Amino acid sequence: MIKRVEVNYRGIFQKNLGKYIGSDIVMIASRMGKVAFSNGRYSDSPERNGIPCKYFAFVSPDLGEEELEAECGAKLDIDEADVSVVLDDTMVKGVEPWGWHGVRPINEKVREKGCLLVFSRHSHDELVEHIGKKPFPYRLATVEGDASLAGLWVNKDDLTRERCLGAIAAVDPGIISIEAVEAYLLDKTKEGHRARAAREAYDATLRRIKLVAPGQGIDWPHKIPVLPKWHEFQEGGVVVPAVKRGFELGPRGQTRNDMFKRGTTKTHRPVVRFDLCIKCTLCWLDCPDECFDPTDDGLYDVDYEVCVGCHKCAAVCPIPECIVMVDELKFKDDSSPWEAHKRNPVEYIKWAEEKKGKERLNYPYVTGTGYEVTEGQTVPPKLATGAKP
Amino acid sequence: MATVLEETGIWAKELLLNGCQAVAQGVKLADVDVIAAYPIRPYTEVMDALSRIIADGELDSEYIVADSEHSQFEIVKHASSVGARAFAGSSGTGWMYGFEALVVTATDRLSPLFLVGNRALDDPGAFGVEHNDALALRDMGWLLCWASSAQEALEHVLIGYRIAEDNRVRMPMALAMDGAFLTHSQHMVKLPTQEAVRRFLPPYDLGDRRLHPDNPVSIAPQVNEDWVMELRRQNWEAARRAKGVVAQAYKEYNAIFGSRYTSPYFEEFMIEDAEVALIGLGAVCMPARTAVRRLREKGKKVAYVNLRWFRPFPTEELRAVLGRMKAVGVIDRDFAHGSPDSGGIVVHDIRSCLYPLKNRPAIANFICGLGGRDISIDDCIRMFEVTTEAPNRAAGDELVTWVGLRE
Repeated sequence: MIKRVEVNYRGIFQKNLGKYIGSDIVMIASRMGKVAFSNGRYSDSPERNGIPCKYFAFVSPDLGEEELEAECGAKLDIDEADVSVVLDDTMVKGVEPWGWHGVRPINEKVREKGCLLVFSRHSHDELVEHIGKKPFPYRLATVEGDASLAGLWVNKDDLTRERCLGAIAAVDPGIISIEAVEAYLLDKTKEGHRARAAREAYDATLRRIKLVAPGQGIDWPHKIPVLPKWHEFQEGGVVVPAVKRGFELGPRGQTRNDMFKRGTTKTHRPVVRFDLCIKCTLCWLDCPDECFDPTDDGLYDVDYEVCVGCHKCAAVCPIPECIVMVDELKFKDDSSPWEAHKRNPVEYIKWAEEKKGKERLNYPYVTGTGYEVTEGQTVPPKLATGAKP
Repeated sequence: MATVLEETGIWAKELLLNGCQAVAQGVKLADVDVIAAYPIRPYTEVMDALSRIIADGELDSEYIVADSEHSQFEIVKHASSVGARAFAGSSGTGWMYGFEALVVTATDRLSPLFLVGNRALDDPGAFGVEHNDALALRDMGWLLCWASSAQEALEHVLIGYRIAEDNRVRMPMALAMDGAFLTHSQHMVKLPTQEAVRRFLPPYDLGDRRLHPDNPVSIAPQVNEDWVMELRRQNWEAARRAKGVVAQAYKEYNAIFGSRYTSPYFEEFMIEDAEVALIGLGAVCMPARTAVRRLREKGKKVAYVNLRWFRPFPTEELRAVLGRMKAVGVIDRDFAHGSPDSGGIVVHDIRSCLYPLKNRPAIANFICGLGGRDISIDDCIRMFEVTTEAPNRAAGDELVTWVGLRE
């Protein structure tokens, strides 16, 4: 028997965290007398900011080391997971780790009665509204908390690692038991608070497991590409049709690489108050991914499918409250905000202000050290309703 | 566990390491003097791990981040010529970019050790394992061997320096390791004590060839046509002598660390009464040996040979083992386009090694796992089936089968 754990993490910000969790599972399972090993999925660079990546841990009570590795280690991805951990809840909207793979459902690998374990402050129902439906029942569990984001060389020691181990023990004690987790953390660190954090997460997670019924969830909106056979594509290496010259004004007026959109890299998206825009062009000019589409009224629409949430537009926009970064999970689709604004400006402003809420994210100068959340500026009452000043 | 290991005086501790980190630990234990680094996946994590080891004060070594693979390899070549134990590494096209430096390191008869984290050659830019990068060295006067576990990777840094620096050999050493499957897979690895390593690996001593102000010499001056053939003959002699030195190194390694390596050049699995064998390089040994176990349960007389050393090539040793088979299947995680029968690289050496035998086995060749494509247990079972049928093959039938291709 083999138990498979998949740890979905955000490239670079959580690379060490994902790896440590994989290592810890191996060490704890070994102490329990099982055979285990861990590896990482090798697709796009886990050194790139925000790229969804995976670490795996495999545990078996009865197979030999080589047999386990022959079954699991010689593969790039797994066929199914007993537990899929999601270290940042914005990944429940799907992950596109590499070109030609499409945006895949976060629960794609979760097996029947397996568990999707998400670090989130959202309710189960809110999360399920983003997740593709499955033909069989599985479990959804949450660990209350924000995504722990660190940098290239560092691991943010905020007990996410310990809590994750406790939560895995709660959703599948066949992988690691909470007693073994506690003993391991105590032996290793001699620090009681780490074992306690694991135990608390274990107790809390036991109360936060819900069954997701077959068919519960959304119809998956993204097409999953089928890779061609060797004689089905043009000779001469992999050839991607060129982006057409020029562009049309309006939403998606520019052609972009259809095979790798990278939108699932983002944790936040820019919400634009078109009525406040002074048409200075800076967002369009500075966007590293060219996701702003010029429109015939001199504004700039956003193509959220290709926006990676880098925050640059919000940083360069000279008008307070015109571009504000908002939690990606507040949005269900990638439809054009400019079209919504054109349809009904007053409704759009109301919608935008509601999405923006009161909190604002302040990014530090050093990438990967996390962001600060502060109370947002108040938009003058007249502006907030869309009336001209 | 740790205390038990320490009592042996041989093993210091056991750590959970991936292949890259295991190599870095080997470099640390070998007390390498000069390290040149330039990133390319999957090798990159080796240089990451080494920079940490140095920053933590665990190793006193010059660590130079070069501006390219070419400079990186030139730096270690020169370091090696002044008597410094030197280390570098790379992968895929980065490795190929430094090739001019690699070629001259062998003809200068210097002894740095290189880690090749096997990676597909671009284009398209892909990160998965393919052996063509390291195999490109095969005719250049290098020592070339594959590790098939993190433990072996660590140990072969030590074994590698020992052989490469031996005065009878003095050849550069390339240690290859499958990208992702070995470089980024975490395993428990036993670390030998520094004392035990010291007993096994003597200091690097270039003798009177050492470039030093007290020993003013020129290495590799320009020569005319009337020198080259004699130089090549010397290289050939060294490559031949290397065979014996390899065997001796494993013998002494086993004596100090316990007899783990049954044969220096390759490791046979269930070969005694076997009639059909597969042979391959690197991590494919894991699904292949598992396939052997499963087929043995069904009474099939099959075996797997994990080929470790490709240069020097174990000609007589392989003849003795594979010559007894009815059929041999060669797994190539590489390609040799346009070669005889359009096979892989390894099959041609195996086939030509077995050709002089009177009752030579039938040969099958498999191209698989290119660019990191999975090689499953079922794939290996299929390869055994095709190999078993090889003696019945009609003239004109294909030698080569592509396994795991979308077709």
